[in-house]
Amino acid sequence: MVNDPTLNLLVGKISDILDTTIEKNVREPIRFLVNWGRLYSLWPVHLETACCSIEFGAASGPRHDIERFGMLEAFGSLRQCDVLVVQGTVTRKMAPRMKWVYEQMPEPKWVIAMGACAISGGLYMDSYNVLQGVDKIVPVDVYIPGCPPRPETLIQGIIELQNKIRKSKV
Amino acid sequence: MQNAGMNIEDKGGDKLVLHVGPQHPGSGHFRLIITVDGDYIVGAKPDPGYVHRGAEKMAEYRDYIQNIPHLERPVIIDATGVTLPYVLAAEKIIDVEAPERAQYIRMIMAELNRVISHLYWLGIYGIFLGHSTMFMWPMGDRELFIDLAESIGGTRVTFSYVVPGGVRNDMPTHFKERALKTFDYFEKRIEEYKKIFFNNPIMTARTESIGIMSQADAIKLGITGSNLRAAGIDSDTRKDEPYCLYDRVDFEIPTRKEGDSYARCIVRLEELQQSMNIIKQVLDLIEPGPIKQVIGGVMRGEPGEAFVRTEAARGTMFYHIVSNGEKYPYRVKISVPSFRNLIGMTHLLVGSKLADMPAIYWSLDYWPVEADR
Repeated sequence: MVNDPTLNLLVGKISDILDTTIEKNVREPIRFLVNWGRLYSLWPVHLETACCSIEFGAASGPRHDIERFGMLEAFGSLRQCDVLVVQGTVTRKMAPRMKWVYEQMPEPKWVIAMGACAISGGLYMDSYNVLQGVDKIVPVDVYIPGCPPRPETLIQGIIELQNKIRKSKV
Repeated sequence: MQNAGMNIEDKGGDKLVLHVGPQHPGSGHFRLIITVDGDYIVGAKPDPGYVHRGAEKMAEYRDYIQNIPHLERPVIIDATGVTLPYVLAAEKIIDVEAPERAQYIRMIMAELNRVISHLYWLGIYGIFLGHSTMFMWPMGDRELFIDLAESIGGTRVTFSYVVPGGVRNDMPTHFKERALKTFDYFEKRIEEYKKIFFNNPIMTARTESIGIMSQADAIKLGITGSNLRAAGIDSDTRKDEPYCLYDRVDFEIPTRKEGDSYARCIVRLEELQQSMNIIKQVLDLIEPGPIKQVIGGVMRGEPGEAFVRTEAARGTMFYHIVSNGEKYPYRVKISVPSFRNLIGMTHLLVGSKLADMPAIYWSLDYWPVEADR
């Protein structure tokens, strides 16, 4: 009975139909809903690695007001954060700490490399104590250039990240 | 008061070691290892160096003009305050002198940066004390001063504006009108700050008689800047050893006798007014003229040393440059006020309550990036 080729064909056909139905009618709305929920409540970790934190602070201020784009203020526990914004230079002493912080964050999580130093070492590329780009220790989703990036640039980077989340699979 | 908890160690009991930072709201880029006995802090050990980027070493393989951008990064909110002493020292080595107009523009930029830095400090202090409005107001008003500085320097925070021989470019026309308009607005805001924050009973309860630094301790620990003035010593490098043209302007040095967290706050608030007074006077004194003494070729100093001390936003910024006649400086030593504030902080924390830690910590305006260099 089990080895009947006709039945196998039938079962295969049914599972194909079910797959497309689920993909279209169940998974797609769920994916949309989950990503929509994640998009506008991004909690950044309060980990200041260097001087770009000033511009991050200015972006949370009233003029730029990063919250209207769905990026909350850099407060809250590590366990409820989903974005790690690397704010500038990462030194040899900070690098292992930053990796620990990243590993302790729950999935899903994203990393933004803010500033020239986080991208490639920037101005401190030939310093003896500076990591040449943060993507060597954590996977980076969005790079924001500038030294330091203006708050407007930071906001654009966050919108880029949201576009990325919008397209991601669940 | 500050030593009230000092005997707590004798009482016995279980001690607990807490690590504050580097990932912690407000701790910034450094770690503080605190031993607590009940509510009282019995030991505080700082662990700085998370942002040590080797600025002093890097200065040895960059020439005098290339050094300016990376030397201002440690104190990004007070970019002119940290590069001005370097430039003054480099000018001594290269043997040039900036024209009068450039000196005045430097003073304007230095004072604007002091206001920007103090307002950032005030915003973060509001957050430290759980006062969200006091984060939003100074951060919003700070943008007005950033606009003024941006119209001169070209960028929001990192200007690299002061160079050996003068300043990079001239002030925009109508700067005076814009500046006076901003100051008029901000002087009214200071009164509102006092109403909502400085005379707020919750704020005074959390800062008055908290973290008292005596005059003797302040001198012994080498504290400078606003923290020293809050302890009752009217020391200000702008008055004591005038550089640029600070001897031509008239300003007061705000001081307080109490030496507690509240005194340190109110001194900084009064300094905002004094900075604006200085800029107003400079805008009256300034006259058209050259802004830069052009130096032909690569800047190359005579063999020798130069020491310069200036008053940055956080205190005395000291540079020691040694030159051996080469294109690059032989040694650049930076002595920053934040490092001494760190020493002062560990001194103040021992004996105070754990709940008072935020009020003490940020009242000293310790900026870890500056301390680590």
